[in-house]
Amino acid sequence: MFLLDNQVVREDWKSAKNLVQEALNKHGAKVRTLRRWDERKLAYPIANRKRATFFLGYFDIGVDGLPALRRDLELSEKVIRYLIQSCDAVPETENELAAAEQSADFVVPAPPADDAPEPRREDERPSLEDSIEVPDLNDLEDMR
Amino acid sequence: MSSFTERRPKGTILVKDKNCKQTVPNYKDVEFLRKFLSAHGQIVSRKRSGYCAQCQKQLKAAIKQARHVGLLPFVG
Repeated sequence: MFLLDNQVVREDWKSAKNLVQEALNKHGAKVRTLRRWDERKLAYPIANRKRATFFLGYFDIGVDGLPALRRDLELSEKVIRYLIQSCDAVPETENELAAAEQSADFVVPAPPADDAPEPRREDERPSLEDSIEVPDLNDLEDMR
Repeated sequence: MSSFTERRPKGTILVKDKNCKQTVPNYKDVEFLRKFLSAHGQIVSRKRSGYCAQCQKQLKAAIKQARHVGLLPFVG
């Protein structure tokens, strides 16, 4: 998984994707799939960024190329964080999702501003503040 | 005598509890992993998570990976 600076994705998300792809190819990695996973608010600021675009990739790489790849990613200012871990096989859904991303009608929404609030998910419970009804003070005065 | 001093020999692997039918998520299932964090962002104990020893280790690794990529907080 690679976390990319939203500023790079705002300019052109395909070039942002190519950035990761080229870094992998440079060190002899055979890329199986690479796709945009999500754009999210970070749990804590990384490199003074509050949001980032996550790219998820599956690739084969030899032991010789891995340290060099790690060093390149560490030095890159566009890749703000990465996580490389071993995996037995590429999940079946990954190929479908990566293929869907390559279709012409696939559109990536522009990343919001860094301070934009996280949109509420459908399965998320409403916050306690929303559920509490605050009585109108004028009504209370009438009751007196 | 307490078993506190009894240590597992180095290099041995914990055998998964046969009765454990829990599925351990990976680091991308953030909403699921969030259930195993306390209000302060600490990983809950086996007693509270209900996982066997091996699954708890996998859970711990998944949460730490999610923290590394900024999906989960280090502190609440």
